[in-house]
Amino acid sequence: MSVDPREAVATGTAAPAIADLAAQAGRPVHRASLWRDAWRRYLQNRGAVIAGAVFLLFVLFCLIWPFVTPYDIRSDPVNFQQSYEGPSVKHPLGTDQLGKDLLTKLALGGRISIAIGVGATLAILLIGVVYGSISGFAGGRLDNAQMRLLDALYGLPYLPFAIIVLAIIGENNLWTMVIALSIASWFTAARIVRGQIITLKENDYVRAAKAVGARWYRILSRHLLPNTLGVLIIAIFLELPGVILGEAFLSFIGLGISPPDASLGSLAQEGRAVYRVHPNVIAIPSIAIAVLVLCANFIADGMRDALDPRTRETKEH
Amino acid sequence: MTGFILRRLLWTIPVLLLVIFLTFVLMRQIEGNPFRQTSRAVPLAVQQNLERKFNLDEPWYIQYVLYVKGVFTFDLGPSLVTRDRTVNDIIKEHFPKSVQLGLLAFAWAIVFGIPMGVLAALRQNSAYDYGLMFLSNVGYAVPSFLVATLLIYYVSLKGGLLPTNGWEGSWKYKVLPSFALGLGPMAYFARLVRGSMLETLQQDYVRTAKAKGLRWPRVVVVHVLRNSLIPAVTAMAPLLGFIITGTFVIEVIFSIPGIGRYFVTAISSRDYSVVMGITVLTSVVIVFANLVVDILYGILDPRTRDARA
Repeated sequence: MSVDPREAVATGTAAPAIADLAAQAGRPVHRASLWRDAWRRYLQNRGAVIAGAVFLLFVLFCLIWPFVTPYDIRSDPVNFQQSYEGPSVKHPLGTDQLGKDLLTKLALGGRISIAIGVGATLAILLIGVVYGSISGFAGGRLDNAQMRLLDALYGLPYLPFAIIVLAIIGENNLWTMVIALSIASWFTAARIVRGQIITLKENDYVRAAKAVGARWYRILSRHLLPNTLGVLIIAIFLELPGVILGEAFLSFIGLGISPPDASLGSLAQEGRAVYRVHPNVIAIPSIAIAVLVLCANFIADGMRDALDPRTRETKEH
Repeated sequence: MTGFILRRLLWTIPVLLLVIFLTFVLMRQIEGNPFRQTSRAVPLAVQQNLERKFNLDEPWYIQYVLYVKGVFTFDLGPSLVTRDRTVNDIIKEHFPKSVQLGLLAFAWAIVFGIPMGVLAALRQNSAYDYGLMFLSNVGYAVPSFLVATLLIYYVSLKGGLLPTNGWEGSWKYKVLPSFALGLGPMAYFARLVRGSMLETLQQDYVRTAKAKGLRWPRVVVVHVLRNSLIPAVTAMAPLLGFIITGTFVIEVIFSIPGIGRYFVTAISSRDYSVVMGITVLTSVVIVFANLVVDILYGILDPRTRDARA
């Protein structure tokens, strides 16, 4: 079948075309949709499915475990007799210096890291969508100027700028970390959205909408932006690893989220002081970061293959 | 070609001005006059004299022009905290170490990453290919501080083979930090080169070369490899950003007196002229790296010259 599902759905010809073919083959008629097709293709990718499951399990663990655990990290008394215990039934991942349960700390740290990661990713996409769609939709001089600005900013290291932004705000909490990590990281997202909008703009249905007198905001909001959803979903998982690692770096060098809140990065920093004797304290949160990043990369790959089968064909020749 | 290079060179000037401007605007937002950070109270007259000396009493645009002048004449002003030291002195002392660290990390990435990717592409879908791609995915995901800590733990503490921290002196100090920093880029290169090799191997001219009876090693080296390395050249610029970010962490872990570690100290001690100097310096390095990559790309792939200039 040579019909590109995305184009077919977009132009509204998908159902009849597929129905015809199915009828010819004498099979029952299935309504196909872009998302159902994509989901089916995603499920065929074993690596992506495993990555998605692991990612989901870890997120659920971070959300639920703090309610289930018998330990309360903030209010439990300090117990130096239990400090740096190895793994046991009571403490599956051992304890920290103050005798607190590392598994519970991992869940709490994971919560903060994921919250910052998701928050900053959404902020990056939001800025990217606004900047990119203005640029792509307006075209001409404005587009040119905006792209030149992006060229200029391209490749600037986000870390010094994030550190300066944190110094300006003077407070290191979840929200300021989101701002700091997104402020110098949205350039790629803006380019992706612009590219997508420019491609979509050439479609017949956009011309048709223009021809019947649709206003620009209607074309943008009803015809162009909804069709960028696919690339945006991929972009979430493309941006997430960078943001999670960036947060971890900041916290690890002591410029990240401030106590009593802790992220995976600041848990790793706590472990740094004792890695010679108790390497598990630094290894546990770091491995959690690695697992999150690895899963996000695989999910992004799987989604790209699922939502845009053409890239997959060129890749697998 | 000369025209292309010239236009591209001229274009860096507004870019530099803009980048300096953004840094300048950001820095001005930070609360607190650095001269009030000392524990001794400074008399008002002294305060005013200091402000005059560092042009802090001028309007912001004059300060910006003066700063730009400073950047282009390689004078980044005095340190606000460390007496008798200019930002230039500090950069001169610490920057070369970071450059060395970064270049060594790039060396690991190029010397090992590219051949690994080439071999994986030539043996596509073999056990080696799958193993390498798995390792490369892991290598790209593991935070460099974990790599660094594991290396110190197993190689230095358990194995006693290499020193745990420091930089000056023997090459032994440089192996672990540069490897920990270069592992991510190495994994990235391996994946990138594998992908572009696979694509190039499908090209008609490769089939032609094979069909006219060229030996396979020659086809690979002359026809496939050269064309497959273009994406690797383009990837250099974003990877430089990755490496600069990495030096902050690696220098802190290995106690390397580089510019990244100094930046972290400077932000804590509110030495803003140093913070600004280092930020501008890294931005300038990035801008020039982009320039070099673009020109290289123009040489390697003439089609891009007009589109990019």
